[in-house]
Amino acid sequence: MAPVTIRLHGAFSDFANGARRVDLDAATAGEALEALAVAHPSLRERLRDEHGVLRVHLSVFVNADDLASLDGDGTVLHDKDVVHIIPAVSGGGQ
Amino acid sequence: MAKSVAILVGTKKGLWVFRSGAARQRWRAEGPYFAGQAVYHAAFDPRDGETVWAGVNATWGGPRIEVSHDLGRTWTIAANPAFPAGDDRTFARTWHIEAGHASQPGVVWAGTEPASLFRSGDRGHTWEPVRSLNDHPEHAFWSPGGGGLGLHSIAIDPADARSMTIGISSGGVYDTTDGGKTWTNGNAGTRSPIPVPDDPYVLRCVHHLVAHPTVPGVRFQQGHAGVYFRPAGAAKWTERSKGLPTDYGFSAAIHPHDADTAYVIPLEFPVRQSPAPSVGVYRTRDAGKTWKRLTKGLPKGDLEVMREGLATDRLDPAGVYFGSSNGEVWASRDEGHTWAQVSAYLPYVLSVSTATG
Repeated sequence: MAPVTIRLHGAFSDFANGARRVDLDAATAGEALEALAVAHPSLRERLRDEHGVLRVHLSVFVNADDLASLDGDGTVLHDKDVVHIIPAVSGGGQ
Repeated sequence: MAKSVAILVGTKKGLWVFRSGAARQRWRAEGPYFAGQAVYHAAFDPRDGETVWAGVNATWGGPRIEVSHDLGRTWTIAANPAFPAGDDRTFARTWHIEAGHASQPGVVWAGTEPASLFRSGDRGHTWEPVRSLNDHPEHAFWSPGGGGLGLHSIAIDPADARSMTIGISSGGVYDTTDGGKTWTNGNAGTRSPIPVPDDPYVLRCVHHLVAHPTVPGVRFQQGHAGVYFRPAGAAKWTERSKGLPTDYGFSAAIHPHDADTAYVIPLEFPVRQSPAPSVGVYRTRDAGKTWKRLTKGLPKGDLEVMREGLATDRLDPAGVYFGSSNGEVWASRDEGHTWAQVSAYLPYVLSVSTATG
Protein backbone atom coordinates (compact mmCIF):
# COMPACT_ATOMS: atom_id res chain seq x y z
CA MET A 1 0.00 0.00 0.00
CA ALA A 2 1.23 3.48 -0.88
CA PRO A 3 -0.01 6.85 0.34
CA VAL A 4 -1.45 8.57 -2.74
CA THR A 5 -3.56 11.59 -3.54
CA ILE A 6 -6.62 11.65 -5.74
CA ARG A 7 -7.50 14.92 -7.43
CA LEU A 8 -11.11 15.37 -8.55
CA HIS A 9 -11.64 17.75 -11.44
CA GLY A 10 -14.74 19.44 -12.84
CA ALA A 11 -17.99 17.53 -12.62
CA PHE A 12 -16.40 14.75 -10.59
CA SER A 13 -15.70 17.19 -7.78
CA ASP A 14 -19.37 18.20 -7.93
CA PHE A 15 -20.42 14.56 -7.57
CA ALA A 16 -18.26 14.34 -4.41
CA ASN A 17 -19.95 17.31 -2.72
CA GLY A 18 -17.21 19.66 -3.83
CA ALA A 19 -14.24 17.61 -2.62
CA ARG A 20 -11.21 18.23 -4.81
CA ARG A 21 -8.60 16.15 -3.01
CA VAL A 22 -8.76 12.79 -1.29
CA ASP A 23 -5.72 11.22 0.42
CA LEU A 24 -5.74 7.46 0.81
CA ASP A 25 -3.61 4.33 0.73
CA ALA A 26 -3.72 2.00 -2.27
CA ALA A 27 -1.45 -0.46 -4.00
CA THR A 28 -3.02 -0.14 -7.45
CA ALA A 29 -5.12 2.30 -9.44
CA GLY A 30 -8.10 -0.05 -9.13
CA GLU A 31 -7.73 -0.08 -5.35
CA ALA A 32 -7.47 3.70 -5.30
CA LEU A 33 -10.68 4.09 -7.30
CA GLU A 34 -12.45 1.60 -5.05
CA ALA A 35 -11.25 3.43 -1.93
CA LEU A 36 -12.42 6.69 -3.48
CA ALA A 37 -15.88 5.20 -4.07
CA VAL A 38 -16.00 4.05 -0.45
CA ALA A 39 -15.04 7.52 0.74
CA HIS A 40 -17.54 9.17 -1.60
CA PRO A 41 -20.29 6.64 -2.48
CA SER A 42 -21.98 9.15 -4.78
CA LEU A 43 -18.99 8.76 -7.11
CA ARG A 44 -19.23 5.00 -7.57
CA GLU A 45 -21.74 4.97 -10.43
CA ARG A 46 -20.26 8.12 -11.90
CA LEU A 47 -16.91 6.41 -12.38
CA ARG A 48 -17.99 2.98 -13.61
CA ASP A 49 -21.04 1.35 -15.16
CA GLU A 50 -22.83 -1.61 -13.57
CA HIS A 51 -20.31 -4.04 -15.05
CA GLY A 52 -17.33 -2.20 -13.57
CA VAL A 53 -16.19 -0.58 -16.81
CA LEU A 54 -14.82 2.95 -16.49
CA ARG A 55 -17.19 5.44 -18.08
CA VAL A 56 -16.45 6.61 -21.59
CA HIS A 57 -16.06 10.32 -20.97
CA LEU A 58 -13.73 9.91 -18.01
CA SER A 59 -9.97 10.18 -18.06
CA VAL A 60 -7.89 8.77 -15.23
CA PHE A 61 -4.27 9.83 -15.09
CA VAL A 62 -1.58 8.59 -12.76
CA ASN A 63 0.68 11.61 -12.48
CA ALA A 64 1.09 12.54 -16.17
CA ASP A 65 0.17 9.19 -17.70
CA ASP A 66 -3.23 8.10 -18.96
CA LEU A 67 -4.39 4.96 -17.15
CA ALA A 68 -5.42 3.55 -20.52
CA SER A 69 -1.75 3.58 -21.59
CA LEU A 70 -0.62 1.91 -18.36
CA ASP A 71 -1.94 -1.32 -16.87
CA GLY A 72 -5.47 -0.13 -16.21
CA ASP A 73 -6.82 -1.03 -12.78
CA GLY A 74 -3.70 -3.10 -12.17
CA THR A 75 -1.36 -0.13 -12.49
CA VAL A 76 0.94 -0.17 -9.45
CA LEU A 77 0.99 3.03 -7.40
CA HIS A 78 3.97 4.42 -5.54
CA ASP A 79 4.37 6.79 -2.61
CA LYS A 80 3.05 10.29 -3.38
CA ASP A 81 1.57 9.36 -6.76
CA VAL A 82 -1.30 11.61 -7.80
CA VAL A 83 -4.34 10.07 -9.50
CA HIS A 84 -6.37 12.59 -11.49
CA ILE A 85 -10.10 12.05 -12.21
CA ILE A 86 -10.81 14.26 -15.20
CA PRO A 87 -13.91 14.85 -17.33
CA ALA A 88 -12.66 13.83 -20.77
CA VAL A 89 -12.65 16.47 -23.45
CA SER A 90 -14.59 14.29 -25.84
CA GLY A 91 -18.01 13.75 -27.32
CA GLY A 92 -19.60 16.37 -29.51
CA GLY A 93 -21.77 13.84 -31.29
CA GLN A 94 -25.04 15.39 -30.17
CA MET B 1 -59.54 21.78 -6.23
CA ALA B 2 -56.13 22.18 -7.82
CA LYS B 3 -54.44 25.48 -7.09
CA SER B 4 -51.29 25.40 -9.18
CA VAL B 5 -49.54 23.92 -12.18
CA ALA B 6 -45.87 23.40 -12.88
CA ILE B 7 -44.46 22.67 -16.32
CA LEU B 8 -41.35 20.49 -16.16
CA VAL B 9 -39.23 21.18 -19.23
CA GLY B 10 -36.33 18.82 -19.94
CA THR B 11 -33.77 20.13 -22.39
CA LYS B 12 -30.40 19.14 -23.79
CA LYS B 13 -28.81 21.42 -21.22
CA GLY B 14 -30.85 21.07 -18.06
CA LEU B 15 -34.31 21.12 -16.50
CA TRP B 16 -36.47 24.20 -16.15
CA VAL B 17 -39.61 24.40 -14.01
CA PHE B 18 -42.30 26.98 -14.80
CA ARG B 19 -44.87 27.54 -12.05
CA SER B 20 -48.25 29.25 -12.18
CA GLY B 21 -51.50 29.48 -10.30
CA ALA B 22 -54.61 27.75 -11.60
CA ALA B 23 -55.31 30.71 -13.90
CA ARG B 24 -52.13 29.81 -15.81
CA GLN B 25 -51.65 33.38 -17.03
CA ARG B 26 -48.18 34.16 -15.65
CA TRP B 27 -45.32 31.70 -15.30
CA ARG B 28 -42.35 31.94 -12.98
CA ALA B 29 -39.20 30.19 -14.20
CA GLU B 30 -36.84 28.16 -12.03
CA GLY B 31 -33.66 26.53 -13.19
CA PRO B 32 -31.80 25.27 -14.90
CA TYR B 33 -31.35 22.27 -12.67
CA PHE B 34 -28.54 19.94 -13.88
CA ALA B 35 -27.20 22.76 -16.05
CA GLY B 36 -25.45 21.57 -19.17
CA GLN B 37 -26.78 18.03 -18.84
CA ALA B 38 -29.46 16.43 -21.03
CA VAL B 39 -32.73 15.79 -19.21
CA TYR B 40 -34.74 13.41 -21.37
CA HIS B 41 -37.79 13.38 -19.09
CA ALA B 42 -39.05 14.65 -15.77
CA ALA B 43 -42.14 13.23 -14.10
CA PHE B 44 -44.38 14.27 -11.23
CA ASP B 45 -45.94 11.93 -8.69
CA PRO B 46 -49.64 12.81 -8.38
CA ARG B 47 -49.98 10.34 -5.51
CA ASP B 48 -48.00 12.38 -3.00
CA GLY B 49 -48.06 15.76 -4.74
CA GLU B 50 -44.40 16.45 -3.96
CA THR B 51 -42.08 14.00 -5.71
CA VAL B 52 -40.48 14.65 -9.08
CA TRP B 53 -38.02 12.44 -10.94
CA ALA B 54 -35.59 13.49 -13.66
CA GLY B 55 -33.81 11.27 -16.14
CA VAL B 56 -30.43 12.99 -16.49
CA ASN B 57 -28.33 11.58 -19.30
CA ALA B 58 -25.04 13.29 -18.63
CA THR B 59 -21.88 13.08 -20.68
CA TRP B 60 -19.68 13.14 -17.58
CA GLY B 61 -20.59 10.64 -14.92
CA GLY B 62 -23.01 8.77 -17.17
CA PRO B 63 -26.77 8.49 -16.95
CA ARG B 64 -28.58 8.83 -13.65
CA ILE B 65 -32.00 9.38 -12.14
CA GLU B 66 -32.48 12.25 -9.73
CA VAL B 67 -35.29 12.38 -7.15
CA SER B 68 -36.86 15.44 -5.56
CA HIS B 69 -39.36 15.34 -2.72
CA ASP B 70 -40.05 19.08 -2.77
CA LEU B 71 -41.39 19.60 -6.30
CA GLY B 72 -38.00 20.02 -7.87
CA ARG B 73 -36.32 22.45 -5.52
CA THR B 74 -33.73 20.00 -4.15
CA TRP B 75 -32.52 16.72 -5.60
CA THR B 76 -30.75 13.50 -4.61
CA ILE B 77 -29.17 10.96 -6.92
CA ALA B 78 -30.82 7.53 -7.05
CA ALA B 79 -28.97 4.26 -7.41
CA ASN B 80 -28.77 3.59 -11.13
CA PRO B 81 -31.00 1.12 -12.91
CA ALA B 82 -28.54 -1.68 -13.61
CA PHE B 83 -28.45 -4.76 -15.77
CA PRO B 84 -27.48 -7.91 -13.88
CA ALA B 85 -24.01 -9.45 -13.98
CA GLY B 86 -23.54 -11.47 -17.12
CA ASP B 87 -25.96 -9.36 -19.13
CA ASP B 88 -24.22 -7.75 -22.09
CA ARG B 89 -26.41 -4.65 -21.88
CA THR B 90 -25.39 -1.49 -20.02
CA PHE B 91 -27.71 1.23 -18.75
CA ALA B 92 -27.11 4.06 -21.19
CA ARG B 93 -30.04 6.51 -20.87
CA THR B 94 -33.34 7.05 -19.12
CA TRP B 95 -36.07 7.81 -21.62
CA HIS B 96 -39.16 7.93 -19.41
CA ILE B 97 -40.17 7.79 -15.75
CA GLU B 98 -43.74 7.04 -14.68
CA ALA B 99 -45.34 7.08 -11.25
CA GLY B 100 -46.94 3.74 -10.46
CA HIS B 101 -50.59 3.00 -9.90
CA ALA B 102 -52.44 4.94 -7.19
CA SER B 103 -52.79 1.74 -5.15
CA GLN B 104 -48.99 1.26 -5.10
CA PRO B 105 -47.63 4.51 -3.64
CA GLY B 106 -43.97 3.45 -3.56
CA VAL B 107 -43.84 2.04 -7.07
CA VAL B 108 -42.20 3.90 -9.95
CA TRP B 109 -41.29 2.69 -13.44
CA ALA B 110 -38.41 3.73 -15.69
CA GLY B 111 -37.89 3.07 -19.37
CA THR B 112 -34.30 3.02 -20.50
CA GLU B 113 -31.87 2.55 -23.35
CA PRO B 114 -31.14 -0.13 -24.34
CA ALA B 115 -34.87 -0.77 -24.35
CA SER B 116 -35.71 -2.11 -20.92
CA LEU B 117 -38.09 -1.56 -18.05
CA PHE B 118 -37.04 -1.04 -14.45
CA ARG B 119 -39.22 -1.00 -11.32
CA SER B 120 -38.64 0.86 -8.10
CA GLY B 121 -40.46 -0.02 -4.90
CA ASP B 122 -39.07 2.88 -2.88
CA ARG B 123 -40.24 5.98 -4.79
CA GLY B 124 -37.41 5.87 -7.27
CA HIS B 125 -34.34 5.61 -5.08
CA THR B 126 -33.39 2.06 -6.15
CA TRP B 127 -34.35 0.07 -9.25
CA GLU B 128 -34.73 -3.56 -10.32
CA PRO B 129 -34.89 -4.82 -13.90
CA VAL B 130 -38.17 -6.27 -15.16
CA ARG B 131 -36.62 -9.31 -16.74
CA SER B 132 -39.89 -10.71 -18.07
CA LEU B 133 -39.93 -7.80 -20.52
CA ASN B 134 -36.23 -7.07 -20.88
CA ASP B 135 -35.59 -10.69 -21.87
CA HIS B 136 -38.81 -11.12 -23.82
CA PRO B 137 -38.40 -13.68 -26.64
CA GLU B 138 -38.95 -10.91 -29.18
CA HIS B 139 -36.31 -8.59 -27.76
CA ALA B 140 -33.77 -9.90 -30.24
CA PHE B 141 -35.89 -8.30 -32.98
CA TRP B 142 -35.90 -4.86 -31.41
CA SER B 143 -33.58 -2.48 -33.18
CA PRO B 144 -32.60 1.14 -32.68
CA GLY B 145 -34.38 3.97 -34.43
CA GLY B 146 -32.87 7.37 -35.10
CA GLY B 147 -32.71 8.22 -31.41
CA GLY B 148 -31.44 4.86 -30.20
CA LEU B 149 -33.17 1.77 -28.86
CA GLY B 150 -35.31 3.12 -26.09
CA LEU B 151 -38.28 2.11 -23.99
CA HIS B 152 -39.88 5.54 -23.96
CA SER B 153 -43.53 5.10 -23.05
CA ILE B 154 -45.09 3.59 -19.94
CA ALA B 155 -48.87 3.66 -19.66
CA ILE B 156 -50.50 2.45 -16.47
CA ASP B 157 -54.17 1.65 -16.44
CA PRO B 158 -56.08 3.77 -13.90
CA ALA B 159 -58.39 0.92 -12.87
CA ASP B 160 -55.96 -1.95 -12.55
CA ALA B 161 -52.39 -1.79 -11.31
CA ARG B 162 -51.67 -5.07 -13.09
CA SER B 163 -52.53 -3.61 -16.50
CA MET B 164 -49.75 -1.69 -18.23
CA THR B 165 -48.67 -0.93 -21.78
CA ILE B 166 -45.19 0.12 -22.85
CA GLY B 167 -43.69 1.42 -26.09
CA ILE B 168 -40.29 0.70 -27.61
CA SER B 169 -38.61 2.25 -30.63
CA SER B 170 -38.22 0.16 -32.59
CA GLY B 171 -40.04 -2.78 -31.18
CA GLY B 172 -43.52 -1.53 -30.62
CA VAL B 173 -46.15 -2.05 -27.99
CA TYR B 174 -46.23 -4.66 -25.24
CA ASP B 175 -49.04 -5.23 -22.74
CA THR B 176 -49.15 -6.91 -19.37
CA THR B 177 -52.27 -7.78 -17.38
CA ASP B 178 -50.49 -9.46 -14.48
CA GLY B 179 -48.35 -6.65 -13.14
CA GLY B 180 -45.40 -7.36 -15.41
CA LYS B 181 -44.99 -11.10 -14.94
CA THR B 182 -45.79 -11.70 -18.61
CA TRP B 183 -45.95 -9.44 -21.66
CA THR B 184 -47.74 -9.85 -24.97
CA ASN B 185 -47.10 -8.13 -28.27
CA GLY B 186 -49.65 -5.33 -28.59
CA ASN B 187 -48.94 -4.10 -32.11
CA ALA B 188 -51.98 -5.61 -33.84
CA GLY B 189 -53.72 -3.07 -36.03
CA THR B 190 -50.70 -0.83 -36.56
CA ARG B 191 -48.86 -0.37 -39.83
CA SER B 192 -45.20 -0.76 -40.49
CA PRO B 193 -43.65 2.15 -42.43
CA ILE B 194 -42.29 -0.53 -44.73
CA PRO B 195 -44.71 -3.32 -45.69
CA VAL B 196 -43.61 -6.61 -44.17
CA PRO B 197 -44.55 -9.96 -45.77
CA ASP B 198 -46.45 -12.24 -43.37
CA ASP B 199 -46.34 -9.36 -40.91
CA PRO B 200 -45.24 -10.68 -37.51
CA TYR B 201 -46.18 -7.41 -35.80
CA VAL B 202 -42.72 -6.88 -34.40
CA LEU B 203 -40.39 -3.97 -35.13
CA ARG B 204 -43.17 -1.41 -34.97
CA CYS B 205 -41.90 2.11 -34.37
CA VAL B 206 -44.27 3.57 -31.81
CA HIS B 207 -43.18 7.12 -31.08
CA HIS B 208 -45.26 7.94 -28.00
CA LEU B 209 -47.98 6.08 -26.14
CA VAL B 210 -50.28 7.15 -23.31
CA ALA B 211 -53.14 5.75 -21.25
CA HIS B 212 -56.05 7.85 -20.16
CA PRO B 213 -55.48 8.82 -16.50
CA THR B 214 -59.02 8.04 -15.31
CA VAL B 215 -60.90 6.04 -17.97
CA PRO B 216 -59.86 2.37 -17.87
CA GLY B 217 -58.49 0.58 -20.89
CA VAL B 218 -57.98 3.50 -23.26
CA ARG B 219 -54.65 3.78 -25.09
CA PHE B 220 -53.53 6.39 -27.63
CA GLN B 221 -50.36 6.53 -29.69
CA GLN B 222 -48.49 8.45 -32.35
CA GLY B 223 -46.35 6.10 -34.38
CA HIS B 224 -43.84 6.46 -37.17
CA ALA B 225 -46.71 5.47 -39.46
CA GLY B 226 -50.02 6.57 -38.09
CA VAL B 227 -52.02 7.81 -35.14
CA TYR B 228 -54.02 5.13 -33.34
CA PHE B 229 -56.62 4.67 -30.62
CA ARG B 230 -57.27 1.44 -28.78
CA PRO B 231 -60.45 1.52 -26.72
CA ALA B 232 -61.05 -0.58 -23.62
CA GLY B 233 -61.38 -4.26 -24.41
CA ALA B 234 -60.11 -3.95 -27.99
CA ALA B 235 -57.46 -6.38 -29.16
CA LYS B 236 -56.33 -4.16 -32.02
CA TRP B 237 -55.47 -0.54 -32.61
CA THR B 238 -57.67 1.54 -34.92
CA GLU B 239 -55.81 3.97 -37.14
CA ARG B 240 -57.08 7.54 -36.91
CA SER B 241 -54.67 9.41 -39.17
CA LYS B 242 -57.34 10.64 -41.61
CA GLY B 243 -57.76 14.38 -41.27
CA LEU B 244 -54.17 14.99 -40.21
CA PRO B 245 -51.68 16.59 -42.62
CA THR B 246 -49.23 13.73 -42.13
CA ASP B 247 -49.34 10.35 -40.42
CA TYR B 248 -45.92 11.04 -38.91
CA GLY B 249 -44.97 12.77 -35.69
CA PHE B 250 -43.62 12.07 -32.25
CA SER B 251 -45.83 13.67 -29.63
CA ALA B 252 -49.21 12.54 -28.29
CA ALA B 253 -51.28 13.68 -25.33
CA ILE B 254 -54.72 12.81 -24.06
CA HIS B 255 -57.27 15.04 -22.34
CA PRO B 256 -57.30 14.49 -18.57
CA HIS B 257 -61.07 14.17 -18.27
CA ASP B 258 -62.37 13.10 -21.69
CA ALA B 259 -60.95 9.92 -23.21
CA ASP B 260 -62.19 10.87 -26.69
CA THR B 261 -60.15 14.07 -26.73
CA ALA B 262 -56.48 13.91 -27.64
CA TYR B 263 -53.74 16.01 -29.20
CA VAL B 264 -50.91 15.49 -31.69
CA ILE B 265 -48.46 17.76 -33.50
CA PRO B 266 -47.83 16.21 -36.92
CA LEU B 267 -44.43 16.53 -38.53
CA GLU B 268 -43.09 16.12 -42.04
CA PHE B 269 -40.94 13.05 -42.65
CA PRO B 270 -37.94 13.00 -42.74
CA VAL B 271 -37.21 16.65 -41.94
CA ARG B 272 -39.18 16.48 -38.65
CA GLN B 273 -40.59 19.97 -39.04
CA SER B 274 -44.26 20.95 -38.97
CA PRO B 275 -45.85 20.68 -42.41
CA ALA B 276 -47.07 23.73 -44.36
CA PRO B 277 -48.38 26.23 -43.66
CA SER B 278 -46.98 26.34 -40.10
CA VAL B 279 -46.99 24.61 -36.75
CA GLY B 280 -50.39 23.43 -35.59
CA VAL B 281 -51.71 21.42 -32.68
CA TYR B 282 -54.37 18.98 -33.83
CA ARG B 283 -57.18 18.03 -31.48
CA THR B 284 -59.82 15.34 -31.78
CA ARG B 285 -62.93 15.23 -29.65
CA ASP B 286 -64.26 11.97 -31.10
CA ALA B 287 -61.38 9.54 -30.58
CA GLY B 288 -59.71 10.43 -33.83
CA LYS B 289 -62.63 10.27 -36.26
CA THR B 290 -62.10 13.97 -36.97
CA TRP B 291 -59.31 16.42 -36.21
CA LYS B 292 -59.23 20.20 -35.82
CA ARG B 293 -56.12 22.32 -36.38
CA LEU B 294 -55.53 24.75 -33.50
CA THR B 295 -53.24 27.72 -34.16
CA LYS B 296 -54.64 30.81 -32.43
CA GLY B 297 -51.65 32.56 -30.89
CA LEU B 298 -49.06 30.19 -32.34
CA PRO B 299 -46.22 31.48 -34.55
CA LYS B 300 -46.36 31.31 -38.35
CA GLY B 301 -43.29 29.17 -38.61
CA ASP B 302 -42.17 25.59 -38.50
CA LEU B 303 -41.39 23.88 -35.21
CA GLU B 304 -40.14 20.45 -34.26
CA VAL B 305 -41.74 18.76 -31.24
CA MET B 306 -40.29 15.52 -29.96
CA ARG B 307 -41.90 12.45 -28.38
CA GLU B 308 -42.12 13.84 -24.83
CA GLY B 309 -42.81 17.36 -26.03
CA LEU B 310 -46.60 17.55 -25.61
CA ALA B 311 -48.59 17.26 -22.37
CA THR B 312 -51.81 18.17 -20.63
CA ASP B 313 -52.42 19.21 -17.04
CA ARG B 314 -55.29 17.93 -14.82
CA LEU B 315 -57.30 21.16 -14.52
CA ASP B 316 -60.73 21.91 -15.98
CA PRO B 317 -60.58 23.38 -18.56
CA ALA B 318 -57.47 21.41 -19.33
CA GLY B 319 -54.17 23.06 -20.06
CA VAL B 320 -52.13 21.85 -23.02
CA TYR B 321 -48.39 22.46 -23.35
CA PHE B 322 -45.64 21.79 -25.84
CA GLY B 323 -41.95 22.50 -26.23
CA SER B 324 -39.91 22.65 -29.42
CA SER B 325 -36.40 21.86 -30.48
CA ASN B 326 -35.65 25.56 -30.96
CA GLY B 327 -36.24 26.12 -27.24
CA GLU B 328 -39.78 27.49 -27.15
CA VAL B 329 -42.49 26.47 -24.67
CA TRP B 330 -46.14 27.16 -25.48
CA ALA B 331 -49.23 26.85 -23.27
CA SER B 332 -52.97 26.80 -23.76
CA ARG B 333 -55.21 27.19 -20.74
CA ASP B 334 -58.38 26.53 -22.70
CA GLU B 335 -57.86 23.03 -24.11
CA GLY B 336 -55.91 24.21 -27.14
CA HIS B 337 -58.22 26.96 -28.39
CA THR B 338 -55.71 29.75 -27.76
CA TRP B 339 -51.96 29.68 -27.13
CA ALA B 340 -49.40 31.88 -25.41
CA GLN B 341 -45.65 31.57 -25.20
CA VAL B 342 -44.28 30.58 -21.80
CA SER B 343 -40.61 30.80 -22.70
CA ALA B 344 -38.17 31.06 -25.59
CA TYR B 345 -34.43 30.75 -26.11
CA LEU B 346 -34.18 27.62 -23.99
CA PRO B 347 -31.93 24.81 -25.20
CA TYR B 348 -33.44 22.08 -27.40
CA VAL B 349 -36.56 20.90 -25.57
CA LEU B 350 -36.64 17.14 -25.07
CA SER B 351 -39.64 16.82 -22.78
CA VAL B 352 -42.60 18.65 -21.35
CA SER B 353 -44.63 17.26 -18.47
CA THR B 354 -46.87 18.77 -15.85
CA ALA B 355 -47.53 18.74 -12.13
CA THR B 356 -51.01 19.75 -11.06
CA GLY B 357 -51.21 20.41 -7.33
